[in-house]
Amino acid sequence: MCSAEEAALLRLEEVFSATLARVNSLVLQPLLSAAPEPAEPQSRECLRLLQQLHRSSQQLWEVTEESLHSLRERLRHPDSTGLESLLLLRGADHVLQVYTEYIESYTSCIVVQAFQKATKRRSEFWRAQLKSLRQLLSGVGSKCSVGTALIQALRQPLAHHVQQYVLLLLSLADAVPERHPARELVVNAATLFGNLESFMRQALDQAVATQALWHTLSSRQRDVLCIPAHRLLQDSQDVPVTVTPLRAERVMLFDDVLVLLQGHNVHTFDLKLVWVDPGQDGCTFHLLTPEEELSFRAKDPQGQAVWQWKVTQAVCQALRGKKDFPVLGAGLEPSEPPACRCAAHTFRAEGRFCQATYEGEWCRGRPHGKGTLKWPDGQNHVGDFRQGLEHGFGIRLMPQASEDRFDCYKCHWQEGRMSGYGICEYGTEEVYKGYFQEGLRHGFGVLESAPQAARPFRYTGHWEKGQRSGYGIQDDSDRGERYIGMWQADQRHGPGVVVTQAGVCYQGTFHADKMVGPGLLLSEDDSLYEGTFTKDLTLMGKGKITFPNGFTLEGSFGGGAGRGLHTQGVLDTSALPPDLSSICKRQLGLGAFPVQNRWQGVYGPFRDFVAAGCPGDLQEALLGFHVQSSRELRRSQDYLCCARTQPEDVVGRIKDSLAELLRHREPKALQRHLRKALSNSLHPLGKLLQRLMLTFQATYAGVGANKHLQGLAQEEVKQHAQELWASYRGLLRVAFQHKGQALEEEEEEEDAETRDLHVHGLVLPLVLPSFYSELFTLYLLLHEREDSLYSQGITSLSLVPDTKLLEFLEVQKHLWPLKDLTLTTNQRCSLVRDKCFLSATECLQKIMTTVDPREKLEVLERTYGEIEATVSRVLGREHKLPMDDLLPLLIYVVSRARIQHLGAEIHLIRDMMDPIHTGGLYDFLLTALESCYEHIQKEDMRLHRFPGQWDSRELW
Amino acid sequence: MMAIRELKVCLLGDTGVGKSSIVCRFVQDHFDHNISPTIGASFMTKTVPCGNELHKFLIWDTAGQERFHSLAPMYYRGSAAAVIVYDITKQDSFHTLKKWVKELKEHGPENIVMAIAGNKCDLSDIREVPLKDAKEYAESIGAIVVETSAKNAINIEELFQGISRQIPPLDPLENGNSGTIKLGKPGTQASRRCC
Repeated sequence: MCSAEEAALLRLEEVFSATLARVNSLVLQPLLSAAPEPAEPQSRECLRLLQQLHRSSQQLWEVTEESLHSLRERLRHPDSTGLESLLLLRGADHVLQVYTEYIESYTSCIVVQAFQKATKRRSEFWRAQLKSLRQLLSGVGSKCSVGTALIQALRQPLAHHVQQYVLLLLSLADAVPERHPARELVVNAATLFGNLESFMRQALDQAVATQALWHTLSSRQRDVLCIPAHRLLQDSQDVPVTVTPLRAERVMLFDDVLVLLQGHNVHTFDLKLVWVDPGQDGCTFHLLTPEEELSFRAKDPQGQAVWQWKVTQAVCQALRGKKDFPVLGAGLEPSEPPACRCAAHTFRAEGRFCQATYEGEWCRGRPHGKGTLKWPDGQNHVGDFRQGLEHGFGIRLMPQASEDRFDCYKCHWQEGRMSGYGICEYGTEEVYKGYFQEGLRHGFGVLESAPQAARPFRYTGHWEKGQRSGYGIQDDSDRGERYIGMWQADQRHGPGVVVTQAGVCYQGTFHADKMVGPGLLLSEDDSLYEGTFTKDLTLMGKGKITFPNGFTLEGSFGGGAGRGLHTQGVLDTSALPPDLSSICKRQLGLGAFPVQNRWQGVYGPFRDFVAAGCPGDLQEALLGFHVQSSRELRRSQDYLCCARTQPEDVVGRIKDSLAELLRHREPKALQRHLRKALSNSLHPLGKLLQRLMLTFQATYAGVGANKHLQGLAQEEVKQHAQELWASYRGLLRVAFQHKGQALEEEEEEEDAETRDLHVHGLVLPLVLPSFYSELFTLYLLLHEREDSLYSQGITSLSLVPDTKLLEFLEVQKHLWPLKDLTLTTNQRCSLVRDKCFLSATECLQKIMTTVDPREKLEVLERTYGEIEATVSRVLGREHKLPMDDLLPLLIYVVSRARIQHLGAEIHLIRDMMDPIHTGGLYDFLLTALESCYEHIQKEDMRLHRFPGQWDSRELW
Repeated sequence: MMAIRELKVCLLGDTGVGKSSIVCRFVQDHFDHNISPTIGASFMTKTVPCGNELHKFLIWDTAGQERFHSLAPMYYRGSAAAVIVYDITKQDSFHTLKKWVKELKEHGPENIVMAIAGNKCDLSDIREVPLKDAKEYAESIGAIVVETSAKNAINIEELFQGISRQIPPLDPLENGNSGTIKLGKPGTQASRRCC
């Protein structure tokens, strides 16, 4: 069944549709067709608004037709078509939207007085039209102007129609039974259209007030402010308010901006970037904007309340981006604007940010969160901000004066300045990777010049206030030189060691980049010069040369370009040959750079990280980025994108790492865990180790592979192990703190002995592989001479058959493992080779398969076990070998094992051995091995003089 | 809890004079068999009490053959004591002993305690070196001297006790000034605990 209300609705829609058509032909069409394309922008704007209004009107007509159609269908088939099929009910929201859009367009036209302007141009035509216009309207006096008539013609039918809607819908709601499924829809539609009435009323009031405002402003102010979208919400002329510190004579609140008039100046503030704070007393409140803080004072608390409420609601509305419905501040949550927002702003005030545009997150008037800052000169900054300043990770591009080049800083910032770790790629193609403080390079950092630079260099070391300062390594690839030593104010200053490609190296004291005083100069042929010389290795002044043959030349030296060396001095040819190793094994730099101070810039940030309690957000700033490798980074297509891990991941990961730490405390688990952590480039310990490896390679690889640096290198490796252990302990302490526990008292104070035990027994074997190749190379070079003698020894011994060798080494015959070979007496000196003590020999060879000194020593112990087992088998009973028997057998096994570079191996093992073993079993075994090594180098062995020829010289 | 001091002791002397026999006897005769790793008869350890300390002897054997003499410095470096053994039935071995003493004085560690052992005193009927000679010589160089018999276990304990007594007691202020001295701290390592 259809109700009478539905039929009434149908008639209403029919009338409205016809009215709209008439308004269209009588008003809108003439308004649009009248004007040729106007020239001045204001008129163009008017035309655009009228076109917009026409489109809205068209949509209004269409939706009315649609509604009409649904009503006709309903009336025709009341039984098959339910009440809910009516567009007004099922599509109430859509209808409402069309209406509000029309109202928006209409009020915009009102605000800029579009109708008045349009009619002015064809006033005669409109005067003629006035009569027919009046017919459209009701309650309009005969005296009304064309403008007013037009305004009414476009509004009145709509207002009337909505009013009728509400009435009919309400009575329909009464007519529909309580339980009817569509009842709720009807009630809802009635409410919506009721709200629409209020909305329309408010919109019209605002538009009228805004339009009226323009007459009270100067033309200049009007030009600035007269924008169709503006709606005046509050004016200080209605509710007086004074503003400090701007001292504005008039304050106007629009729905998108706050405007202060001060003389001819118009200050506008985007409402999206206005934060409202209540004042101390009832009459004031404060506004925060990006560049100003304003205090509003009203005459009375009511005035204050009005203003504060209006501003607050306007800010909320502006942030929501659409008009509050039905009226400003109506029932929408939240009624308080959020403290953090997203917006763009261009700074005007003098200062660093002047004219820069910030787009991103704000909090209480300041950039805060993620954002982009762009300066007009092309400089820009993308990253994290805090309290209005760059803070956290950020990428800054700085255009260079000439060419299309940029300096690119990818680093951490603190209060607007670079601070913490960063990578900077300069327009000159120089690259700096390291730490900053207050915008300058500070702490550890690596600066590398462009590969094609005029003087290519690479500096790995410490910085202070932007200059090289402290311990640092600089490579000069043109000169093929590496400087290892102290710096001050970008100059070599203090003790330093220079190694060259040619193998010459020297140690001296520098002052402002110049060598001062005497130094040590070691040439590649192992002659030594002690005295004064220049950086170009010209001997100058007093000095003494010691030649490898023991001759010395002492006197004063001079030289110069092209004149060669000349000297006045005494050549002493009678001096005893020096102890060869004293010169050829001389170590440079020992004591000049105390090992515990050497890489403070690397350890320091880690300590700071631990001291701060391992905060995830500081990990990157303190420990550096996780990047695959610099080369990959530079090759990466996305030039700006730092291949960083996501900071959120880092926070989670560091927590996990710390928790892991607590789970692995037992020696075996700890070792496994540390091994994993150290090899994981994402783990703090792994990061630290990687950085240490970088410094180690920078010092000892390439040109730095010089035997005179072995001492520096080996103490550095031990120091690193110690620092890594301390770092682990630091992390452990933090992990306990996170769990609200302290380290157990016994563990808190770790005594030196326990620490050494861990450092040598646990950490050193784990980190040694990372430094092994450079370190072992140094040992190789240092022991090159002995190793070559030894190598001659084993080569010559390898030609000797087993039995002959055993005999030669005076191994007692009853120990010879020849039983299985069934030899007759005259076969004793057969050609049996590499058969005796094979198990021991093979065991010993395993010494080369590991880098861990402890494992190497265990190999030695097993080798001994094999020898003893073989001997016991030969004798048919257990036999304990005294040294008289053991040493010859060991020499035999060593000579058969043919281990390359045994000298380097032995010395590396001894240096890296846990000092706890001194004097003990391992020390003994290593000493025994070393004595075999020494023995094989002897001339007798190399020339294998046989027992018959044995020259029993007096050795004393 | 007693402090353990590790003392490196090296054995010097001609081959065949019984260097390792003395040590084997010393180490094995003890009723308290601490199973500590050894390298045959070449490297052995034994812990004995001395005053309020425990002395752990780390005994390093050396090869007595003349051709290995030049390797000896590697073995005796860092020793707290040296036991120099001769055979009382062989004058030559006493001669060698004197050379060892001379070398230790010149190249050995400072303050090394020297103990002279005239081994094989069970064969005193074929003695070649009179005890008096040995005593006079020892006195002249400030060394301990005893005649021992590894075979009959004579004076073996006394020899090492003599060494223990000669080791200066640990000055608590001077903590580990030589590589051979180590303080066993309470609670650091179970294996080094004793009671």
